[in-house]
Amino acid sequence: MNVVITPTMVAQVVVSGILAGGLYAMVALGLALIFGVMRVINIAHGPLLMLGAYTTYFLYAGLGLNPFLTVPISMLVLFAVGLLLQRALVFRVVDAPELSSLLLTFGVSIAIVNLAQLAFTSDLRAVEYITGSWVIGQLAFSKSRVIAFAFAGALTALAFLFLQKTRLGKAIRATSQSREVAMVCGIDVRRIHLLTFGFGSALAAAGGALLAVIVAIQPEMGQVWTFKSFLVIVLGGAGNYPGALLGGMLLGLVEQLASLFLTTQLSEVVAYVLLVVVLLVRPTGLLGGRQT
Amino acid sequence: MRRAFLAALAAAVAAFAIYPEFGTGYGVRSILQVFMWIALAGSWNLVSGLTGYVSFGHVAFFGAGAYAGGILITQHGWPWPVASLGGGAAALVLAAVIGGPCLRLKGPYFAIAMLGLNEVLRALVSYFEGLTGGGNGLSLPTLDASVPIYYVMGLLAMAVTAGTYLIITSRFGLRLMTIREDELAAEAMGIDTFRHKMYALLLSAVGPGIAGALTARDQGYIEPISVFPLATTITMIVMVLFGGKGTVWGPVLGAVVLFVAQELVWARYPYVHPLLFGAIIVAVVLAMPRGVLGLLQIKYHLPRTI
Amino acid sequence: MTRKALGALVAAAVLATGLAADAQGPIRIGGSLSLTGTYAKLGTYQNEGYKLCLKHVNDKGGLLGRKLDLVVYDDQSMPATGVRLYEKLITEDKVDAVIGPYSSPITEAVANVTEKYKKVMVTPLAATTSIFKKGRKHIFMVISPAEVYLEGLIDTAARRGLKTVAIVNEDTLFSKAAAAGAVDIAKKKGMQVVFQEAYPKGNTDFSALLTKVRAANPDVIAAATYFDDAVALTRQMRELNVNPKLYGVTVGGDLPEFYDLLKHNADYIYGATQWEPTLPYPGNKEFFEAYKKEFNRDPVYHSAAGYAGCVIYTEAVKRAGTLDSDKVREQLLKMELRTAFGDYKVDQDGFQLAHKMVTFQWQDGKKVTVWPDDLAQAKVRFPTPPWNQR
Repeated sequence: MNVVITPTMVAQVVVSGILAGGLYAMVALGLALIFGVMRVINIAHGPLLMLGAYTTYFLYAGLGLNPFLTVPISMLVLFAVGLLLQRALVFRVVDAPELSSLLLTFGVSIAIVNLAQLAFTSDLRAVEYITGSWVIGQLAFSKSRVIAFAFAGALTALAFLFLQKTRLGKAIRATSQSREVAMVCGIDVRRIHLLTFGFGSALAAAGGALLAVIVAIQPEMGQVWTFKSFLVIVLGGAGNYPGALLGGMLLGLVEQLASLFLTTQLSEVVAYVLLVVVLLVRPTGLLGGRQT
Repeated sequence: MRRAFLAALAAAVAAFAIYPEFGTGYGVRSILQVFMWIALAGSWNLVSGLTGYVSFGHVAFFGAGAYAGGILITQHGWPWPVASLGGGAAALVLAAVIGGPCLRLKGPYFAIAMLGLNEVLRALVSYFEGLTGGGNGLSLPTLDASVPIYYVMGLLAMAVTAGTYLIITSRFGLRLMTIREDELAAEAMGIDTFRHKMYALLLSAVGPGIAGALTARDQGYIEPISVFPLATTITMIVMVLFGGKGTVWGPVLGAVVLFVAQELVWARYPYVHPLLFGAIIVAVVLAMPRGVLGLLQIKYHLPRTI
Repeated sequence: MTRKALGALVAAAVLATGLAADAQGPIRIGGSLSLTGTYAKLGTYQNEGYKLCLKHVNDKGGLLGRKLDLVVYDDQSMPATGVRLYEKLITEDKVDAVIGPYSSPITEAVANVTEKYKKVMVTPLAATTSIFKKGRKHIFMVISPAEVYLEGLIDTAARRGLKTVAIVNEDTLFSKAAAAGAVDIAKKKGMQVVFQEAYPKGNTDFSALLTKVRAANPDVIAAATYFDDAVALTRQMRELNVNPKLYGVTVGGDLPEFYDLLKHNADYIYGATQWEPTLPYPGNKEFFEAYKKEFNRDPVYHSAAGYAGCVIYTEAVKRAGTLDSDKVREQLLKMELRTAFGDYKVDQDGFQLAHKMVTFQWQDGKKVTVWPDDLAQAKVRFPTPPWNQR
């Protein structure tokens, strides 16, 4: 039962892949920042995204706000949550072996998901705000995904500008490259850690807020995003922020193309195989990150 | 002191040996689970506790053993004791294949690679339906073998613990721990670190492989998501951390205590059980990274072979 | 008689009746249900069905003159946990009877335990045929099997002369069986399956899949889904402008939330359900009212199935006159019963023969039964208009 694959179909799928890739990139950037600056593997990244999605949902359902306008609010809320988590728990495992941060953030992640289940129940929610697509020629561009991509693109661009141009951003990059040198230069490393976790969480929240308009929301929605963010970082190279962008796009495209040319079931396998292959062949990532 | 300890140990073994005569089916199954956790935690300890390389996808060996054993039983009619050895062999082969490339990675990358590997395996098992039943799961012919499996699993738990003792008291074990403390120095001293890590990984894969096959036989039904879950890896790890990483009895202590704790918590607070489990994990990581036995070792100058 | 003697006599009498009452204590029916985890929602509905049935039986004087007690543990939606819990119920809690859990995978796993101890178990929420075709003697099916979920959709299509069908399904036990059944039925009715593909559980982006489906240009799309995937699939069908003449889903399409989430995009979509409150079965209305009163919401078929499972079991016990497993089993094998949920009759494997599924179509926000003909409330709105004309 094989369908003949035409170039139009490939083009359509490439479009979907890029749209998905944009979101992957933004969310992974958050994870990359946290890993790059603090060497913390944040397994709670997915649940933070989920909380961002719920924040948007409740603002939309309760106050009738335009869900896209709630993105900054979700980001702020989760920025605060991130600060809190860092200040209370995560800072203790910043210098510890990776096992500690893996386990700690895992514990936090299952706690957050459980709290969400208690508070929100497992009932599916959705933000029924915008459906349908814009059609250009033979290609359909899902409205919700295009807008999400636009936001993600803007936010990622802002993030990069921030990292490149502002003092705080440079301080973050400096700490990411070498903590000792940063300290010597007078950077308050602890404050940087705190803020970085906040920013990382905010980016995850933005992803969640945008996702809320696209998929159904439920407490476990974040798990798969944590895995995918890892994938992206490995692909792009840890500590390599533009690498996260490349990795995100690559993941989005690979998934969709595999789904088209093989089967949707296999696309799951392909993504993970890609992870393992890249790790083994070029562990520093496609654009080259740091070794240890 | 040592005599008393050995006598207590013998008594415990004897008690477990005769338990099935008096216990309920549920009791047998529960203790069987504890044995399984001891085998799993002890095996993880062999690689991660001794070499310091965090295997974050260790349940992959369990899942591989479960499916290998299940397939051998259903499609080739092997009797389950032999099939469980087959499960161990499958896990060994898996470790040999991925160990080579994976062990060249450092720290967090090794952890993530093992995690990715677990997911790849799960997805592959789902895909090759003809062999594994895919999403349908694999159903084994009905057989009531809880009691014999109880004994075999108990033997496995003892073997893993005994094996850990032998390794820790051997030169091989000493070299592994040297790798853990300072890999560069170990290399400088002439230790072939790669080969040693590889042996440790191979040894640590056998236990979960056999345990997986035994569990598949005992449950009678397995599906990909139930034999490759991340939560199993995490539980193994937390058990070892709690008891004491790199010790002989740490995994045993951790397995028993945490299993009992989980049962109590889950029975009484089913709706917040993950929250409490998460809190336990956080507490163990922050408050007792050395584990109970690790702390006791330092405080009372207990021997390394505890 | 002296006062003392009288007092002693009264005391003895009280003690005797007290002892007698204890000896005749409640009948304990035990089971594990998915109260947390992936199946939490539906497991909870099933539990409510059980509870309501027990309440009704108790209100009418109990079973065999004794009150019924329900002992339910949470299996966390995991088969392995369910297995241990049934061992516990049977060997430690020593319940008088067991009743089935939610979902096919869990039922499949725990059936091994109940077979081992030869305990009769009615399993109301297991729809997979293979569970009942393994030579087991003590389990009994209540609902229609997965393979016929899409029968109504395909039959409706065939009768209107449609020729091609595309089938997509989640890669899990139930959905695969439903898809396989759909393929069989389509072939039997002379239709051609032009495309079939499975997707992993948890998949949210169906663009590539639907792009392929659209290229195959089927008249009918039959999707063996649960809930989230049904919603995601529908949304993306709209985005990619996939316009079959008929589109149906399985589990999930019948929940009110389906319409809540999709709003008018859900109109024209077909679904299959084991039960609807509007069906003319005896006691159906009363069940609906009682459930609504007790739990403050409308029941769905999972609750009704749970209710029916318990009714079927207690009826068999009544007819056998005893709790003895073998005697009850005899009754369950030969019994023919019509409950608020529908008809019950099994073959010698315990496989359900009589129960009928219905196919409905969402029309203006309401579920309207459209198949089979003798239970249909209205005609189908056919064909489904293309998305851009709605």
